[in-house]
Parts: sequence; C-alpha cells; structure tokens
Amino acid sequence: MKRHYHRGSETVKALDGVDFSIHSGEMVSVLGPSGSGKTTLINLLSCLDAPTEGTMTVAGKSVTGLSEDQLVEVRRGVLGFVFQQFHLLPTLTVMENVELPLTFLGLKPHPQRTKEVLKLVGLLDRASHLPKELSGGQMQRVAIARALMIEPKILVADEPTGNLDKATGESIFGLFKELTQKGLAIIITTHNMAFGYEADRVMTLEDGKILKEEKRV
Amino acid sequence: MDTRLKEDHFTLFRYVSLAFKNLRRRMVRTALTISGVGLAVAMAVSLGGFVMGYQGAINRSIDMLGFQVMIMAKGCPYEAATLMLKGGTGLMYLPGDTYEKVKNDPDIESITPIFVGIALKEGTAKDSEKTFTIINGIDVPSFLSMKPWLKFQSGSGRWFSPQSRDEVVLGSEVAAFEHRQVGDSFEANITPYGNTEAVYRQFKVVGILAQAGTQDDGTVFMPLDSARSAFNRPRQLTILGLKLKQFNAATMRDFENKWLKLPEVQVVSLQQVKTTLISLVATAQTMIAAVAVIAVIVALIGVINTILMSVYERTGEIGIMKAIGARRGDIFQLIWLETLVICLFGSVIGSIFAWFGSGLVEKAIRSLADFGVSGSIVLITPGVVGYAILGSAVLGFFAGLYPAWRAASMRPVESIREGV
Ligand SMILES: Nc1ncnc2c1ncn2[C@@H]1O[C@H](COP(=O)(O)OP(=O)(O)OP(=O)(O)O)[C@@H](O)[C@H]1O
Ligand SMILES: [Mg+2]
Repeated sequence: MKRHYHRGSETVKALDGVDFSIHSGEMVSVLGPSGSGKTTLINLLSCLDAPTEGTMTVAGKSVTGLSEDQLVEVRRGVLGFVFQQFHLLPTLTVMENVELPLTFLGLKPHPQRTKEVLKLVGLLDRASHLPKELSGGQMQRVAIARALMIEPKILVADEPTGNLDKATGESIFGLFKELTQKGLAIIITTHNMAFGYEADRVMTLEDGKILKEEKRV
Repeated sequence: MDTRLKEDHFTLFRYVSLAFKNLRRRMVRTALTISGVGLAVAMAVSLGGFVMGYQGAINRSIDMLGFQVMIMAKGCPYEAATLMLKGGTGLMYLPGDTYEKVKNDPDIESITPIFVGIALKEGTAKDSEKTFTIINGIDVPSFLSMKPWLKFQSGSGRWFSPQSRDEVVLGSEVAAFEHRQVGDSFEANITPYGNTEAVYRQFKVVGILAQAGTQDDGTVFMPLDSARSAFNRPRQLTILGLKLKQFNAATMRDFENKWLKLPEVQVVSLQQVKTTLISLVATAQTMIAAVAVIAVIVALIGVINTILMSVYERTGEIGIMKAIGARRGDIFQLIWLETLVICLFGSVIGSIFAWFGSGLVEKAIRSLADFGVSGSIVLITPGVVGYAILGSAVLGFFAGLYPAWRAASMRPVESIREGV
C-alpha cells in the first residue's frame, strides 16, 4: 500500500509500500520515529483515508477505490477508534458519549449494554459525569468504551497512551489484551517501546516503509 | 453485533437533543442570535398585525356606519370620512333644505339625516386639557333602519319620547367613562352658534346602548331637533347617510353626478373612503416592511454566522462523529437542526413579544397618526403568528444549508487533525 501526499510540486511519500495483514484476536503494534507514517497507516487501516496506490481488504470486503461515502459504510459497525486526544464530546455525559455511535448507526440506546461496556473499562460509577470531570486515563477509557459499543471487529488506536502516564498506559494496554481474548483485532501505534512489545506482533516503520516486523512468542 | 441492539425509530429526536446540547454550550451566543431572530420576527409580526388589523378596523368602522354613501358639505372627502369616524372638530354644515331635495330620489332605499355637534365635556371647560363629547342629533326611525344592530344594554332604557327636548341616549363608552346610568343627568357645555361663551346644559339619560365596537360607543345621541336647537343651527345638517337600492360603481357614479349639481354638497362613497384610508397608511406600512426585511436579513446573517462559527469550532468533533459512523447526511441533519432550532425559538419568542407588545405598538402608531378608526388597528391573529413561524422555518431551512453542507463535507482525517 502507498499513500502519498501532494503539496504543490512536492510529494510526501508518507507510506511508501507497506504490505501486511491483521487477524482477529491479534494485537499489532506499530512503532517508529515521528513522521515515519504511523498515523497515515492507521488512517488507511481505519478507512478514514484511502490509499494512493494498493489494495486493502477489511472483514473480507475490498475497500480499494471506495468513495468517502462508501468508506463510511465500511467503518460503520466494523471499526472502533481510539485517539491520542480522546476526542469525547464535551457536552455529553460519559454515558451519552458511549451511546453516541448507536445514534449514528440508527440503533436504539441500550442502557444495559452501555453499562456492561462501562463496567468493562471500569467506569460504571462515572456514567453521569461530563468528560471535563474525568482524568486523562478515564477519558481514554470512555473513548475505548465508545469504540467498543458497536462491537467492532477491529479496534484502531493511534497513540492511545500518548497523553497518559506510565501506570495508566499499562492499565489501558491490559484492557486491550483482555479484548483480544474476545476475538477483537487491535492495531495500535505508540512511541513507547515497552508498551509496543506487549503486542502479539510489532511492526517498526521508518520513512513510510516497514523496517522490521517481529512476532512475539 | 449484539443481538440486543434494535433499530431506532426516534432518531430525529436524538438529533434534536444533540442539537440542543450543542446550542446550550455557547448560551450567550445562542441567546444573542435567537434575540436577533426574535426581533426581526416581532417586527414582521407587528407589521402583519398592523396591516391586517388596520384593514379590518377600517372595514368594520365603515361597515358599521350602516350607510354606503354620505352627502356632506364640500371639503376634503377623506377629512370628511375621518370626521365621521372619529368626530373631528372642523365641522361643516349642509344647508337645511338639502335633505328635502335629496330624500325623494327614487334610487335611494333609505336615508337618514344626522347633525353632529361637539360639546365640551362637563366640568372640564376650564381645565387646561379640554375634552370633547360628540353629540349626534338623529332621526331615530331612519337612523335605526340603517343600524339595526344598535341595542340597549340589558334593561337600560328606551329611545326618546316624541315631545322630549332634553333626553339623551349614551353610547356604552360614554356611559362607562362618565359613570352614568339610566335616570341620571348628563351635563355638557355647549356653545350655540353665534355665542362665544359655552352654555351649561343638563340632559336626562333615558337609555344606554350596548357596545357596538364603533364610534357610536363614544357618542351621545339626542333627537335631531334638540341637537340643532342646542347648537342654534335649527335648519342645518352635517351628514345625510344613505343606502342605494342598487350599489355598485355605476350606480354610485350616476348618483354622484346627479347630486353634485347642488353647489355646497359632496357625495362620498364609503367604498372609496375605505380604499383611500387604507392607501393612506400603505406608505408607512411599506417603510416598516422595508425595515422588517432588513432586520430579517441581518438576523439571517447572524444565524448563518453563528452556526458557521460553531461548525468551525467543532471541526474536530465533527471528524470524530464521522469516524464513529456518522454519515454525511447525519452531520448535515445535526447542523441543520441547530439552525432550525434557533430560527424556531426566535420566531416563537418574537411572536410572543409581538403579541404582548401589540398594545404598545398600537399606542405608538396612534400617537404618530390617529387614523380615526375604532377597535384595534394592530391585530395579531394566530394566522399572522403561524405565517411568521412558518416563514422562519423556511428561512432557517435556507440559512442552515451552507453551514450544514460545510460540516457534512469535512473529511474526517483532516478534521480530527485540525480540530485538536
Ligand atoms: N495531510 C498531510 N499533508 C501532507 N503531508 C502529510 C499529511 N499528513 C501527514 N503528512 C506527512 O506524512 C508523513 C507521515 O506522517 P504521520 O502523521 O503518518 O507520522 P507519524 O508516524 O504518525 O508521526 P508521529 O509519531 O509524530 O505522530 C510526515 O512526513 C508528514 O509530514
Ligand atoms: Mg501520528
């Protein structure tokens, strides 16, 4: 897969030929220096962006050459997102934030399921709080709960621990591991080597190319 | 996917609730924008109410005169009409024989002679603020045939006895204002023609009329001859009110031509007065309308600006919503609903203000120019309000299009990146 950004006459080869696959129940981490193309890769994998060149298949469906509107359809119900900046909606409570994806999918709110998901991330007691009343780690947990609400097959996380301290980061990674036990495929970018090497597979990018790929045993 | 998750039939409700939450976030900004819309709508509603109410009031006042045509002393016909409606002071009188000349015209179905005089209100003659009472001397049988709806208040009185010289019947407003009942005396200072000093007169109230909603409510009636002699104009008349057997433009023109040969007489069709009175304020209404249109445009720009600002502020959030599954249409709907909410709230608030403020508007308009019609001239009906709210919804629909489109076409990756 390739993804090039064009800036006037200049072309930035953010991803310059990447070829790999992820399976369900697998956690893959992407390491690499800043600017190596991690975020670009994640955006492609999560169908938020389309590759300049190459093909991609998500859950058995080819997403090559799809328009923006068609990509949404792929995302809906299959992909869950977690971002470095959490990106919770400030006007909604924890509970409402977690329920929001259901609204966009045209599904009825399901308080029971919301509670189960919040319990999974350990925030059941904060359901009625607003994001600003939470710590960074808690906000990231809410974001994870939100991503899990629609039971995605793949969870994509771009530096989910980037804004968190070490201990909180560890607990988030612990949670991710738990989730892979349930068959979820997870792909994470991180700067933190220690966290990265907790994954089943570690991929190191440099200048838009896979530098090395290690499988942990 | 979780089999417990079911299709939602209330998605619109969820989006409305999201829209509300977004608008609440910047309460002051939202409130200001809503006020702008409210102000514009209040203006539009008041204007609509003025147009409707004024026409209604003129039609009502003129229809309630009971006659279609007036014959009166020469002068400006519209002045004459207003004079008839509100009882102006520059009265002019017809020569006494006009009635006899006209009354046997075969085209006339009915005719009634009226003498109008102005009396100083009792006890106020020396006050700096002089008030007036309109006295109508009437011929009861023919007057009533023109205005069959005139009734006495329950159990209060009768018309004049034939030989009476000092009996009066009061319109409901006069009676209420002066606290008079049947049997009481009614006092007035009347200046007879030729005198310089007013003469104090006392009359006996023999009847009080039920409210008619017209100038008759503010009038004191007495027998034609009593009135004439009180004002020392024994032969004169102010108005001949009449109905034609057939009333249309052609018969009216014929009738007019026939009687314009009398030198001091003018024939006025009330239909024509109606049109003129309405066109008199049309200019004022057009000006108010122009201001209202500008207010609406300014309010709309305000709405678009507010929503656009809030869209740009939320670039990141919109990207996230898209990432977690919102379609282009969902975002469009959300932003568009926010616009609609602002416009609808503004229009409802504006309508409420216009509704309760209509009394003030009426006062303001009357103080600028008294159009001489009774009843309210600013009439805010549910219809006017309905149109205003519908209009705001339509404008909101258009105002929301661009911001909603902007938001809907944001690309998730860039939005999330920019929105950080
Ligand atoms: N929208 C864009 N337009 C132009 N160039 C871009 C764009 N997005 C990313 N790039 C470039 O692509 C390259 C890869 O960027 P990317 O964000 O994927 O790096 P990264 O590995 O996530 O870095 P970091 O660890 O700092 O987040 C960089 O050189 C960046 O400047
Ligand atoms: Mg990055």
